Amino acid sequence: MRKLIPGNLIIILSGLILILLSCTPGSCFEETESFLKVSFYDSTTKKLQAPDSLTIYGINMGTNTLYNKTTKVQPALLPLNSAAESCSFVIIINGITDTLEFRYTNHPQLVSKECGYTFYHVIDTPTFTTNNISYIYLARNLITNVNEENIRIFFKYHAGTHQ
Amino acid sequence: MRRTYAYFLSIMLVLISSQGNTSAQDTIQIPLKIKVGLEVAGPAAYFTNKNILNTEGYISVDLNEKKSLFLSAGYLKYEYSQYNYDYLNKGIFVRTGIDFNLMKPDKAQGKYWAGIGLRYGLSLFSSEIPSFQKENYWGKVISSIPLKTYWGHFLEVAPGVRAEIFRNFSMGWSVSLRMLLYSGTGKDLKPIYFPGYGNGAKPVSAGLNYFLVWNIPYKKIKVIMKKEVPEEPEETPTPGSEQQPAGIRRF
Repeated sequence: MRKLIPGNLIIILSGLILILLSCTPGSCFEETESFLKVSFYDSTTKKLQAPDSLTIYGINMGTNTLYNKTTKVQPALLPLNSAAESCSFVIIINGITDTLEFRYTNHPQLVSKECGYTFYHVIDTPTFTTNNISYIYLARNLITNVNEENIRIFFKYHAGTHQ
Repeated sequence: MRRTYAYFLSIMLVLISSQGNTSAQDTIQIPLKIKVGLEVAGPAAYFTNKNILNTEGYISVDLNEKKSLFLSAGYLKYEYSQYNYDYLNKGIFVRTGIDFNLMKPDKAQGKYWAGIGLRYGLSLFSSEIPSFQKENYWGKVISSIPLKTYWGHFLEVAPGVRAEIFRNFSMGWSVSLRMLLYSGTGKDLKPIYFPGYGNGAKPVSAGLNYFLVWNIPYKKIKVIMKKEVPEEPEETPTPGSEQQPAGIRRF
């Protein structure tokens, strides 16, 4: 029995060491924003075509732009307003202005313990003006924090003054 | 043909000698026990972190020298808060299964246990997100998810050790490796922590339990032990001796 006492101590101490090692804090490394991912296509060739100049801002957001005459954007990432069930954007492709409106429902979603919660959205078919946009194809109506294309904008690539 | 005959003969000799070994056996008495354990790491951790209170106890009944029926129950209260959300969860859980002692009965003597437990766990809990906030281009949104009750369940593998420190009093620990079957909340709002399992947002979780155990002997059984007969040392062939076919022992 005396021979077994050190063995018992090893068992107890090894358990205590495991307890100490089990406490590891975590950090947030995941994408927490659910962006609506927009790809741009030439309506003539039906091929992927980044605009030469792209400006996007939310209606009623003043001068706070998401993209400001930015070149070669592919895809564009549009955040939706989680406090409402619709939001609209002004989109200027190669100098020609259009508006885009999205209607959607909001769903809270756990990203992770470290990152907390975000909103996923389920969008309806968007409405838009057709100054430079020919049509829009809804590829995936669930807007998540995963990098997946949601809509395709087919625009007249040669219509505008390329900046 | 000659080789086959030699091989067959050597197998027969091995079988006959092993039969001789089984007759060389011993009987030992092993006490079967009812064990009542209390998990102490949870309450101890509560003194350093008031956001998690995990209490758990178990009862296990030895079926024989190797297997025990295991049943545990516990309560968890969990609060978590960080810059963008608060989370509350409280509830109860049960785990049931079988513990296997992997030690030989003559070494374990009914006092020592080193083995593995296989269990099924069921959890009933209420969770709430009193507030969470999200900020993006459009501004800040503050929302909440009200209190709701859920059932979750999981499987658990728990290797560990116990040692009798005093008469009928043991201590020991086990590592719990759990696999989530269902968190009860659906995929969108998985519980950050739920009773008996841990982080419900992950498909597997691990934990460590530290137990104080009271053992109540209720029966003694006789276990037949096979004596290990030491192998005879092989004879080294002397120079000039006649060569034997492979596999045949010389007597």
